[in-house]
Amino acid sequence: MMQFTEPPPSHPLLHQMSPCSNLPMSKNQFHRTRPWPGFSSSKAVGSFGDANCMEQLLVHCANAIDSNDATLAQQILWVLNNIAPPDGDSNQRLTCGFLRALIARAAKTGSCKMLTAMASANTNLARNTHKFSLIELANFIDLTPWHRFGFTAANAAILEAVEGFSVVHIIDLSSTHCMQIPTLIDSIANRPDGPPLIKLTVVGATEDVPPMLDLSYEELGTKLMNFARSRNVGMEFRVIPSSSSDGFASLIEQLRVQQIVFGGEGEALVINCHMMLHYIPEETLGVIQETNSNPYFFDSSPTLSLRTMFLKSLRSLDPTIVILVDEDADFTSINLVCRLRSAFNYLWIPYDTVDTFLPRGSKHRQWYEADMCWKIENVIANEGVQRVERLEPKSRWVQRMRNANFRGISFGEDAVSEVKSMLDEHAAGWGLKKEEDDLVLTWKGHNVGFATAWVPA
Amino acid sequence: MPGDLENSSAMTVSTASGEASVSSSGNQTVPPTTTTKKKRNRPGMPDPDAEVIALSPKTLMATNRFVCEICNKGFQRDQNLQLHRRGHNLPWKLRQRSSKEVRKRVYVCPESSCVHHDPSRALGDLTGIKKHFCRKHGEKNWKCDKCSKKYAVQSDWKAHLKTCGTKEYKCDCGTLFSRRDSFITHRAFCDALAEESARAQTVANTSSEEDPKLQIVHSSPPPPPPPPPSTTTVTSVVLPIQNPGYTGKEWNFKKISVGFLSALVSNSLSYLSFPFLFPVLVGGLPENPTEILQPTPTPAETGFNGISSSSSSNGSTSSRVFASLFASSTAAGSLQPPTSAFSDLICAMARSERPGNLESASATEPTSLCLSNNCLSLFETVGQDRRQYAPPQQPAMAATAILQKAAQIGSKATNASLLRGLGLAMSSSSSPQESLQWNCQIDPEPAPVGAGLGLALPYDGGAGLTELMMGPSSLSLSLFGPKPTTLDFLGLGMAVGGAPTGGLSALITSIGSGLDVAAAAASFGGGGGGGGGGNSNSNSPGNKWEEALDRKPSTPSLL
Repeated sequence: MMQFTEPPPSHPLLHQMSPCSNLPMSKNQFHRTRPWPGFSSSKAVGSFGDANCMEQLLVHCANAIDSNDATLAQQILWVLNNIAPPDGDSNQRLTCGFLRALIARAAKTGSCKMLTAMASANTNLARNTHKFSLIELANFIDLTPWHRFGFTAANAAILEAVEGFSVVHIIDLSSTHCMQIPTLIDSIANRPDGPPLIKLTVVGATEDVPPMLDLSYEELGTKLMNFARSRNVGMEFRVIPSSSSDGFASLIEQLRVQQIVFGGEGEALVINCHMMLHYIPEETLGVIQETNSNPYFFDSSPTLSLRTMFLKSLRSLDPTIVILVDEDADFTSINLVCRLRSAFNYLWIPYDTVDTFLPRGSKHRQWYEADMCWKIENVIANEGVQRVERLEPKSRWVQRMRNANFRGISFGEDAVSEVKSMLDEHAAGWGLKKEEDDLVLTWKGHNVGFATAWVPA
Repeated sequence: MPGDLENSSAMTVSTASGEASVSSSGNQTVPPTTTTKKKRNRPGMPDPDAEVIALSPKTLMATNRFVCEICNKGFQRDQNLQLHRRGHNLPWKLRQRSSKEVRKRVYVCPESSCVHHDPSRALGDLTGIKKHFCRKHGEKNWKCDKCSKKYAVQSDWKAHLKTCGTKEYKCDCGTLFSRRDSFITHRAFCDALAEESARAQTVANTSSEEDPKLQIVHSSPPPPPPPPPSTTTVTSVVLPIQNPGYTGKEWNFKKISVGFLSALVSNSLSYLSFPFLFPVLVGGLPENPTEILQPTPTPAETGFNGISSSSSSNGSTSSRVFASLFASSTAAGSLQPPTSAFSDLICAMARSERPGNLESASATEPTSLCLSNNCLSLFETVGQDRRQYAPPQQPAMAATAILQKAAQIGSKATNASLLRGLGLAMSSSSSPQESLQWNCQIDPEPAPVGAGLGLALPYDGGAGLTELMMGPSSLSLSLFGPKPTTLDFLGLGMAVGGAPTGGLSALITSIGSGLDVAAAAASFGGGGGGGGGGNSNSNSPGNKWEEALDRKPSTPSLL
């Protein structure tokens, strides 16, 4: 808050802006900017290179755009454009991503023709999200614990939970296209009492969210089954086309039907949610979905969001275990400035970490940052159903799961030690926190993501 | 030394038999020589009276201090140079080892900050001090290409090269991984694996044709620890077609199928008939008799014994058809659990031999036993939805082979609808996304755990009795993993219990067989719905099949 109310007095432009910045202040009260230990001091580049200063400028710009103040918006954009080159340091690139997102937003509102022109010239940054081959994606995910953290924790917990089951039905709700599955198959194949039959159900998402794959899920499934066979594990693979926008209604429906028919006795039902559930609309969007279009016919209460209903229906499937892994941030605010601050104070992490595993200017880094830009643009420039990046902090997910009548279970020692040794393979900034039952991945002390495990209460 | 040898051998001879003398003497000569060797001093602990030698770094690092004046070739040791000089006809002199010359030499490290710079910590041999100096104070110029580790001493580097990659994980594509997780993930998606298993498949195909007994061994009920995947996982496409159940009797296949067709037509179920013929083809095809894995003793007759009671419900069904069905089922039972295109089919049969079931479908057993066994397996509820998961790994090949057969038969029988029926059956098994988007992968390992699971039987345990009664139909069902066919089969079999899908229930209802089972089936309402098919199944069966017929088989070119 400090840096917001007291902008660096050195620059007249900031003084000029301070009056209008008072307006969103009250809305921002509940948001606390994170400190940047070991970050701001080393990365500070003069009064403008500072991350906090960039955040202020972005906030001012967002306000100007939302209040249709084209002149002011253009002024700030000009400043931002000069201090945040797309090939700068991690803060500058982060800011650049937000800058472009703001331009895109301004272009959408159409209040400023110049901005529209700028946007059309600028959109390539987020547009050129790469379509990965499987090998590329595997290498990509391997670079950082961002996903591996969840994979490792989840696999260990799943392995423990399905002990003794001869059939394991895994619903993989993952944004990473089954990248978790090979290691899971491998560890299940080695279990002492022999491998179970694995039924893998994945959701063929109808919307494109990075990372994107350059091949179909059918081909992916063939490869996975081939691999399972090489490990002497029987496996079945199924794709159910389903969309997060309706809370995976078709998936739930199919699972329910299957349970009615087959009872699922002797079959473990594993729901693995890896950075996917935050795409389901929550309360701030849920009001749009009224009872008529509500796919969850059994619950007509309009106050329930799709997210809540999805979790409830998950619970009704009586799963053996539910793994919920997601990024620990809050992108749900309907207030743009709130969202911007929240996103800015979270997404610096991927930009900061990338220096440790991808060289500047490398192709992979471009892909990586293009995916980040896609996220930023989705959070900043889009509204309504198009805004799909709706992260929620861990505390809220925990509350949701409890409300849905799930009980959190602790990750075992195996899981913890495996995550730890996995983190040892990566840069020094990564860390693991245990919060009650949950595991939290940290970067330089800041929460990155969480892994939680749940059973029906 | 020779004297020693003589002595020891003489000693041995005296203590042991004369014949053993040669070998034993050879053994015994070793210890004396080793004891005469001087002990190496431990590094840094030289004899106090040793001669301390301090070499400059340059001298120390010189690889060839002793240079031949003729050819400029350098040597590390004077002795070697002397030997070399002999070649030039130069005077040479090898130092004689004499007991007077024993004065020991120790070497200190030229690096003044090093602990081994102190004479009291000098190292005992020249090579040792050289390596020490290189390792600790020299540049690491030897780099491993695989892992980029650098070494200052070439021999260290060479030693590393031998082990590098063994601790790490290397994919067949050449990529190296230091972490198992990374390797596993890469491996799963790397084309190298697909190629490998493709190779393995051809190998296994060959072996299954060459050595049927091996296959049979594998199929024995409580299998030994899983054989290498290449043999178990892969099965030949040929298997279903081989018709191991063919007994050598000359079956008139055409007659059976045509007769069967007419029976179907008489049941006013013609639109269901096409796929039904399929198992007849599979089972009754008089394929190359040399490929018979295990002839089943008179399947037709024994089969009738086992089936006759249950088959009574459908009077119009030719018993020969049952026999054919039955024969094929027996054959399948005698095969090892495969993962072929017909994995559903074979697996259903192979899996039916549960470890606990002594009367497993081994080929030597009476066929009636096989039947009962299969019927028993129907009660397994575990594998029920397997059949929703559709088809197998290499459907194309199987489809090809079978379609070719189908084409032949079809042309013989001159029955277009038959052909279409076959094509339909194939399409249902080879295009997963069209039906339910399940790809079925059979557990390649005949492990006890998986045994029950592999069942491709769509039955619900609740309808057990009925199913038992309807043994033949259930057999045919299991012959046909993919749903649509099985549905029709059920319908033809008439009055079969346990409806796996809504479509089936609708079908049964429309058939009006009036069995109480139909109600049970209806209660499953779209139960097959595991996939998208569930919805479409809830349409009237007629519509469903219209659709299906419109669909082209996935390998239309063969037709």
